[in-house]
Amino acid sequence: MEVNTRNFRPLSACACRDANLRAVLDHATRHFQNIRKLSMDVFSGREDHFARARAARFTALSRLPDLLEQLEENATAAGTVVHWAADAAEARAIITDIAKAANARVIVKGKSMITEEIGLNPALEAAGAEVWETDLGEFIVQLAGEPPSHIIAPALHKSRQDVVKLFAEKLNLHGESIPELTMLARQALREKFLAADMGITGANMAVAATGSVVLVENEGNIRMSTTCPRVHVALMSLEKVVADMDAVADILRVLPRSTTGQKMSSYVSVLTGPRRQGETDGAQEMHLVILDNGRSKILADPLLRQALACIRCGACLNVCPVYQTIGGHAYGWIYPGPIGTLLSSLLLPHAETRDLPFGCTLCGACKRTCPLSIDHPKLMMALRERVAAKRQNRMGAAHSLLARHPRAYRMAVGAARAVDPQLDLLPRLPGLPGLSEFVDSRHPPELKKPFTARRAKAKAKKERS
Amino acid sequence: MQAHLFIPCLVEDCHPEAAEAVVEVLEHLNVEVHHPAGQTCCGQLAYKTGDLKNARVLAARYLDVFAAPGPVVCPSGSCVKMVRTYPELFAPGTDEHARALDLAARTFEFCEFVAGLPGADQLGAHLKTRACYHGSCQLQGQTDDGAEAPRKLLRGVRGLTLVEADRADRCCGFGGIFSLQFTAVSNALVEDKCREILALEPEILVSAEPSCLMNISGHLARLGKPLPALHVAQVLAAGLKKETPPWK
Repeated sequence: MEVNTRNFRPLSACACRDANLRAVLDHATRHFQNIRKLSMDVFSGREDHFARARAARFTALSRLPDLLEQLEENATAAGTVVHWAADAAEARAIITDIAKAANARVIVKGKSMITEEIGLNPALEAAGAEVWETDLGEFIVQLAGEPPSHIIAPALHKSRQDVVKLFAEKLNLHGESIPELTMLARQALREKFLAADMGITGANMAVAATGSVVLVENEGNIRMSTTCPRVHVALMSLEKVVADMDAVADILRVLPRSTTGQKMSSYVSVLTGPRRQGETDGAQEMHLVILDNGRSKILADPLLRQALACIRCGACLNVCPVYQTIGGHAYGWIYPGPIGTLLSSLLLPHAETRDLPFGCTLCGACKRTCPLSIDHPKLMMALRERVAAKRQNRMGAAHSLLARHPRAYRMAVGAARAVDPQLDLLPRLPGLPGLSEFVDSRHPPELKKPFTARRAKAKAKKERS
Repeated sequence: MQAHLFIPCLVEDCHPEAAEAVVEVLEHLNVEVHHPAGQTCCGQLAYKTGDLKNARVLAARYLDVFAAPGPVVCPSGSCVKMVRTYPELFAPGTDEHARALDLAARTFEFCEFVAGLPGADQLGAHLKTRACYHGSCQLQGQTDDGAEAPRKLLRGVRGLTLVEADRADRCCGFGGIFSLQFTAVSNALVEDKCREILALEPEILVSAEPSCLMNISGHLARLGKPLPALHVAQVLAAGLKKETPPWK
């Protein structure tokens, strides 16, 4: 999708004025929080399991080059063709070439944020292929011609009524209830699975020790996409590799619980190479595309690299008051919410993302929820620092100057109190354009006789008596 | 026992009653209170806009202001959090870093400090009111005790009915600079907050964070449904006196 992060501020203002969107977001994010909480409340040894998942991810990050080499070696030994892509354009070219070579006319896809990141679908379509998203939510947003608005629930911003209308318009399929709509999508997609020449997925994890790709899902569409077509292509960003199956288990104990409150997702596929001799199903050709796209640069930063530990459970989005209010699209790119703000800021050019780290109240709900204890607010601050270093803030600088000189500071506040104790003139202050809107919906505080003066007076009174 | 008062800029000039109440409660618990001169801003504003240079300068100033040993007590979770961030602003091994570590370790949010004092559980405060408590984000995630201390103190006030909104710990939408840059989102959040608070029909709004109080009460005033917005210290101080509290 087109990067629109520059317009984060106006888009966010627009989004929170959309009452329907607010209601849908409120319902959906509360639902996700509830199911997660129910599951976490009965997860015995939760903190230990979190620590193990964290260790699995951070250990992998610390030995990433080794693990990637090992992954390549073992995947190749299992019969998978491994490709390396430095950036999005390279990854698109590699995958469209595979599609052309396989003469793939119909392509089915499992839900994958990484294919969104590289804008894969338009490239495949331009090469003449018919591309079908097969995750129900992703199918819905594809029909609507929209990007996903949540990393695990792409159509989170859509109400049931929206989907009823969409199916009628785009597919001439008529249903009302959620089971009915799901069944209609299932029937439509079943034909695509059977007709597909190629399946494309992302990867939740890749296992260095075995050369396997691990995929976590609930709908079975990924299982179908990887086993029905002749060719399977898995695209992974390079940080997704973990050491071994123990690490996979440690992460799987946490990921579904943190995502949907499930002990385990309905399907976990572990794919190690294509169909072997004598086997009756599975792809005949398997490709693994390992994408960097700016990540090795992030890896070099000792603080910011922790953003790459993310296992994409989406819990930080659901608890974020800003995400709850504006949804995913307002962020202007495919990664929304707290982790999305960090990823977009790190993956996109700086000039595109200056506003992103400021669209956060620093309330810390994300950090408290993250099973891997990623410190989103701290990283947000590091990004703010990066922006501030290039941006002049005269009001801020003036305030800091005053604050260094207590007498001048007291005089300035005293003068303000004398002239405008109710702060009626506040909106007219130059350099702070948000103030008038701020004051429109909030009565500003009153400048009162300061505490220091009151205390001095009370003390004097005490001494006199 | 002695303690130094760290009075946030917002409290000094806009909410001085909270600071006076802090003194009253501490003195009631036999704490001798000092108020070091020269307090302006702890650097939080600069820090949150990403201006680390000025944040560092202001932090260094506060290391001097609070150089005298002994606990430092502040009626704001976010300002305390800022002081606890000071060590990150200075290079390890420097004198400032060592002093920042020391100051961070002896700086306490008011409720956290009071809850740990002898006699805090038998404060003897009595106040008949229906109070809605708003838990500030900045108190959470520092220490578990810190987030619970205000509730513990309020529960100890006889006659006080403590109510908490649906999402008591959800951000009120202020976030400092956030409320000026993302005003529409900030407004939406404070609207949610006020709706959830008003649904409980409280007589007073209580929090341990002056900026949340300013934000929420400011919006309640614009809605034409003002509530007395009080720091926990004010509720405790009023409960220790016989006379009718000033907001009634």
